[in-house]
Amino acid sequence: MKYTPKEIPEEVNVNVTRVHPLVNFAYLLGTTIGVSILIYLGLGFAAAQLTTRISPEMEIKIGQSLFPKGLFSSSLKNQERLEYVQELATSLQEDMGATRIPITVHLWENEALNAAIFPGGNIVVTTGLLDAVETENELAFVLAHELGHFAARDTLKGLGRSLVFVFVTSAIGLGTQDAGGLSAVVSTSGQLTNLHFRIRQESAADLYALEAIIRRYQHGGNSLDLFERIKVKDSRGKFEEYLSTHPLTQDRIDELNKIAAQRGWLMEGEVTAMPENISNW
Amino acid sequence: MILTTLEGVPGQEIVEHFGLVQGSTIRAKHVGKDIMASFKNIIGGELKGYTELLQEARKEAVERMVSQADRLGANAVVNVRFATSSVAQGAAELFAYGTAVRVK
Amino acid sequence: MSDLINVIIFLGLLALGYFSGTYFEQQHYKSIKKREKKTLYVPTVTFGAKQAMPEARDAALFAGSVVIGADYFKTFVSYLRNLVGGRVVVYESLLDRGRREALLRMKEQAIAWGATQVVNVRLESSNIGQQAGSNKGMMAIEVIAYGTGVK
Repeated sequence: MKYTPKEIPEEVNVNVTRVHPLVNFAYLLGTTIGVSILIYLGLGFAAAQLTTRISPEMEIKIGQSLFPKGLFSSSLKNQERLEYVQELATSLQEDMGATRIPITVHLWENEALNAAIFPGGNIVVTTGLLDAVETENELAFVLAHELGHFAARDTLKGLGRSLVFVFVTSAIGLGTQDAGGLSAVVSTSGQLTNLHFRIRQESAADLYALEAIIRRYQHGGNSLDLFERIKVKDSRGKFEEYLSTHPLTQDRIDELNKIAAQRGWLMEGEVTAMPENISNW
Repeated sequence: MILTTLEGVPGQEIVEHFGLVQGSTIRAKHVGKDIMASFKNIIGGELKGYTELLQEARKEAVERMVSQADRLGANAVVNVRFATSSVAQGAAELFAYGTAVRVK
Repeated sequence: MSDLINVIIFLGLLALGYFSGTYFEQQHYKSIKKREKKTLYVPTVTFGAKQAMPEARDAALFAGSVVIGADYFKTFVSYLRNLVGGRVVVYESLLDRGRREALLRMKEQAIAWGATQVVNVRLESSNIGQQAGSNKGMMAIEVIAYGTGVK
């Protein structure tokens, strides 16, 4: 047998697909992000459909199983403040006629300035928030905002979405493998879609809060002062603002003022002071 | 000892065969090489540390096979085959086998 | 802030992996092509076992092996591909390089010994970076080429 040395022509390497790596990369990244967003949007829609079908009893049950009760056992010295906040929250709820499930207020002894709603009607208010508010109008706005989330069942929707999302990501093995940035890509595109939901929810809750304030005090004056004050302290970078769930505080204030002007709501009026023993702790 | 991947040794005749002989070794690389390799895994290219390690290990597998054949009184191993498999994270088994024969 | 740092590190690694990986690949292909031309005169064939013994006075076993690793970019793209499915283009060139390099190393040893041809060549590749059945660890492929050199 004769051997004829022949080179395999390099222009047509049959074993390597002729496609630019970056083109290939862009296609894959686009597909992954696109599908993640689609799944998340679908989940958001499904969660919204499902949560409206959950009965109040069921919601209370879910709330009981999820709420970390032990964390918020307030000491005796906070008892008066707790009762005051509870009363305010209940009356706000009654004003809005949304007494599906009665609200329970919990105090959390923490310096952070925050309030949060849990499924089942549990509102957690930090003592830091109570220290920071100067008038009842400000506190009422924060409480009404959380009530707005509660009325729209936002926490349940978020819960349902994240449960399914965690399930989907772990099913395709993203939760366990150290897939470099892959889980970051999928979860970031999920988070960004989530953000889209959350920002809409925040605006809706703000609107709900303002409406509650108007019903209670017949004007929206001073209720936004807290935001004006914390705006000065807020020094987050642009990037984190973008990734944070709350829209910019200035945007929130402007938006609310605009809506108030449209609907002819008064944004100035008499201040309702906090009771002596609550504010001067 | 003559080793070939053929079914005999060119120019010689098999007079006797002693059946299968095999040699294997399992090697793990030390952490330093692992760290170097995981760095190399970012920029790409040949993982020289691993290449050397596996070549060394393969040499040992062949030596073990040869010493087994030696004990059988063979002077050649024909139809030699190699296999590599990863048996645990960072450890690989190198395996060589063939037929021990006596050629003349 | 930590989110931002993570994203920057990730993108940095991705870019580093892409540019260095492409550079090394080009260099490697250049060297492979040069050496393939140089060693082309010695035939390497996969037959020999079922044929009559080649006319020769001496024979010896030669093995060439190489462990080749993916870069960060390739690894990431392959993870994405794992979700989408289809042809993993980025690893094709990796394995192509590995096999040709292993063959060349075998051939170069055989030529140094004085072989006129290498017969009954076998190629084998295995993944040594990862634990069996899991996706953990890194991408490291060992390719071994072995055959009988005769003279």
